Amino acid sequence: MTPALILFAVFVFIPIFFAIYFSFTDWNGISPPAEAKFVGFENFRVLLFEDGIRRADFFKALKNTAYFSLGVVPMQTALALLLAVVVNQRRLRFKSFFRTSYYFPSITSSIAISMLFLFLYQKNGLVNQVLETITFGAWEPIAWMADPRGLFHIIFGWFGLTLETAPAWMQANVLSLSVWDWLSGPSVALMGIMLLNTWTTIGTMMVIFLAALQDVPREVYEAAEMDGANARQIFFKITLPLVRPTLFFVVTLGLIGTFQVFDQVYVMSSGGPAKTTLTVAYLVYRNGFTNSQMGLAAAIALLLFIIIFTLTLVQRRITEGKKE
Amino acid sequence: MTTSSAYTPTRQISPWRENLRLVLSYALLFLIALIFLYPFVLAISTSFKTLPEINERPVALIPQTFTLEGYQRMFSLNVGRWALNSLLIATIVTISNVLFAALAGYALTRIAFPGSRFVFLAIIGTMMIPGIVQLIPMFIVLKSLNMIDSYSGLIVPKMVTAFGIFLMAQFFEAIPREIEEAARIDGANRFRTFFQVVLPLARPAIVALVIFSFQGSWNEFMHPLIVITTNQDLYTLPLGLAFLRGGLGQNLQWNALLAGSMLTTLPMALIFLFFQRYFIEGISYSGVKG
Amino acid sequence: MKIKLSMLLSALLLSAMILSACATPAAQPAAQPAAGGEQAAAPAGAVNLQLMGWASSDAENVRLQEVVDGWNAANPDIQVSLNLVPDYDTKLQTSLAGGAPPDIFYVDSFRLPDLAAAGALLPIGDKMTNVDDFYPSLREAFTVDGVFYCPPKDFSTLALEYNTDLFDAAGLEHPTADWKWDDLRAAAEKLTNKDTGVVGFSINPDFARWIAFLYQAGGEVANADFSAMTLDSPEALQAMEFYVGLVRDGFAAPASDLDSGWPGEAFGKGRAAMTMEGNWIVPYLKDQFPDLKYGITELPAGPGGKATMAFTVCYGVAANGKNTDAATKVVDYLTGPEGMKAWTDLGLAMPTRQSLREGWLAQYPNLEPMLNGADYARKWQFRPGFGDVLDTINAGMQEAFTGAKTAQAVLNEAQSVGEQVLAR
Repeated sequence: MTPALILFAVFVFIPIFFAIYFSFTDWNGISPPAEAKFVGFENFRVLLFEDGIRRADFFKALKNTAYFSLGVVPMQTALALLLAVVVNQRRLRFKSFFRTSYYFPSITSSIAISMLFLFLYQKNGLVNQVLETITFGAWEPIAWMADPRGLFHIIFGWFGLTLETAPAWMQANVLSLSVWDWLSGPSVALMGIMLLNTWTTIGTMMVIFLAALQDVPREVYEAAEMDGANARQIFFKITLPLVRPTLFFVVTLGLIGTFQVFDQVYVMSSGGPAKTTLTVAYLVYRNGFTNSQMGLAAAIALLLFIIIFTLTLVQRRITEGKKE
Repeated sequence: MTTSSAYTPTRQISPWRENLRLVLSYALLFLIALIFLYPFVLAISTSFKTLPEINERPVALIPQTFTLEGYQRMFSLNVGRWALNSLLIATIVTISNVLFAALAGYALTRIAFPGSRFVFLAIIGTMMIPGIVQLIPMFIVLKSLNMIDSYSGLIVPKMVTAFGIFLMAQFFEAIPREIEEAARIDGANRFRTFFQVVLPLARPAIVALVIFSFQGSWNEFMHPLIVITTNQDLYTLPLGLAFLRGGLGQNLQWNALLAGSMLTTLPMALIFLFFQRYFIEGISYSGVKG
Repeated sequence: MKIKLSMLLSALLLSAMILSACATPAAQPAAQPAAGGEQAAAPAGAVNLQLMGWASSDAENVRLQEVVDGWNAANPDIQVSLNLVPDYDTKLQTSLAGGAPPDIFYVDSFRLPDLAAAGALLPIGDKMTNVDDFYPSLREAFTVDGVFYCPPKDFSTLALEYNTDLFDAAGLEHPTADWKWDDLRAAAEKLTNKDTGVVGFSINPDFARWIAFLYQAGGEVANADFSAMTLDSPEALQAMEFYVGLVRDGFAAPASDLDSGWPGEAFGKGRAAMTMEGNWIVPYLKDQFPDLKYGITELPAGPGGKATMAFTVCYGVAANGKNTDAATKVVDYLTGPEGMKAWTDLGLAMPTRQSLREGWLAQYPNLEPMLNGADYARKWQFRPGFGDVLDTINAGMQEAFTGAKTAQAVLNEAQSVGEQVLAR
């Protein structure tokens, strides 16, 4: 155990302590960190209390990230569990094929696959073609990655509610963004990244569930089948309660992963169009590595940590509460 | 499908309807598989196309002029060496990760020591800070340990991961304590209980961790990027691929890029194919214990 | 389990060996920029320097290595190893902050103010041979507060590319260097064809393109000493309305509307009859669209005259490097008449020295419009933290392109963000 502890302390805790320290400095990320000036809570004040571009960007990124997580986590968890149960059946043929193909997107370098998806999301790309086919031509092709329209804004539009007709309270500013902006929903471009992200993470989550399902004794299933339980009953009454600790693990991983989504934004959109795919992790990168504000970037990272940690605790309470 | 009827003796469904249901289920599973695999099929076909053809729309599944241009460019680089580096690093990292994660995960869930819950949360917490702000601190740590441009710099920091500990801890949590207690009553000490009783039960989790660790190491990009400053002989495959790509510039050699990605993906797919066989539905506890 | 594990490992090793076996015969040393460790042993007492840059096309990587080899052969006492890396910005910043900077490294003009403000660069510009030989516009790009930090390695300027087949089919005269905004707009209108899906002009909602129009209109981003932003000027509005208007009227379109990743691709595919890109489009079109027939001319003039943008990179010397004198000498060679000629002979990048102009033009006459840009190009360089302004304008223009925002609103926002940045 001791070597593990030392390794962990040196290579995980020390860099993190550095990062926490930086969040209280004005470090630019270029000159040696010893030269950085200690500025107390200045970075946090700018991010939370000073009306301006830095606060606006932070909350915009937080909003986008929240929509992202809210969409992706339930989707990937549910689909992964479903697929895991299906490919775990002893009687299933071509089991290895199905398992491997569902896991495949998790394996490949996310850079290459994100670039490939840029093709698929083009106006005449595959995604639009498929949508056109299954809607019998009713689908209007869109340039996914260049479309800043928010999903909720689009839906509001169907009911005649636009920025111009929105009531006054929607125009009010809350934390440097208008209420109307807060309620945008994920943009079309962000949804494109959400779909890609779900598609690439399902496999990983499926494998975790698959491992958890091994702990469900065979006799339990056999007994249930003998009693005439159908597949749905078996799933909700037996499988789900037994994989609950794993559910906590998968949802926590999902939260961590989605709140830190970076690669796909970096490759596919750089935060655009109209900052609708600007995520918190990408904002950290941009401030730290292209805008010479590493202190500010570290402060954002720390705020992000607090948010994810709180969500995890809440989430743990929910999953454990039902455990009895 | 012949065996299936033997398992459903209690249900009174006509065989014809049962068969239709089976066919439809399999059709759906294959459709999902298609959705998951199609982009790769496309990637493979694109890796054999010429640059002008890659720009053509609609995208053709079969290349009109089949070319090895992309693969030649890929192999003009030192990929063999890079693949060996990746393999070496991933193997060591995986073995140590599984070992340490199993021990630490077990200790955290089964040995009640003061503050164990805090330590557990602190370990999970480390996963929640974006790695990008830790890059420079990590570089400074590695530099002060003289590990820049070395295998040890690539391997040692990755030998224990919060992810692994978390994963193993969650699985130990699910294993009934009664089984250990029974072993303990039989006179086994803690270490023997761990190695002979608990670890075999955690086999599915270990299999999962092997897959993830190997994959994580195999695809790791940022860490090798900062560790290797000058010696290209120490590049790993993802670094080499990124080198091939240049920046995210405009004149992308798509065929070479995808050729490289496919060649990197293949070994990992084989690893998965091999290890996934250890996931067998419903291992019974009585069977493993002996 | 044990037997199976060893089987797996041997299978892995085997596949790795196959990989490496395939690799060996095809390996061409030239295509492999040398890594530090592979260098031939340097004579005892020699200074070893590291030159770090980003990986570019094969042709350029190889050529740069040849230029460096040339230096190494002639200077046994100072040996340079070229280190081309992926994800350059992250890498450079990590090594600078970590106190282990490369001796010489690429610096993009946009990044210069940040690096200079952080004290990362040794000012070596004025120590170069015949400093006045560098184009004034390029020296300007690497000057901050009167200090000329580093000599330009090469440069590109924006020019107008046009599809000759589409122009001929529409019966239009080819564009010339005398064009005005109105000519551009009129031609774009005539070349736009709803049936074939071709638009006259492809432009992205991109500050780095619009800014040329800003200067052509006679506007400025900020005043001379960057004490105040000037994006609220009538000139800026005129430029924004012209640029956005082309798109809103349907005569121009961003690449995404033309099934393309960037305007150069849309142009290559023949979906846009014109675009405005820099030198990088030339090798791209040659590789990916070898059959395209196109011409290049200078950007049209606006109400305020001619203007284009110079995008350029310099060789910076680390302020806290160990052998700064030797590094300065190497940079002087690389950007000196001889080194510069060897590097730019490929025709991909343009020489930054005026004395090389004629010789280079004799070889690459078709790129003259781009080289001419050096005479009136503006620098792509502002203040530290200006990335925020860039992002704001890009985001605003993206919305203006769809009609969700007015030109005035985009500029108001940019003006306000710019003032915040200048006040920091």
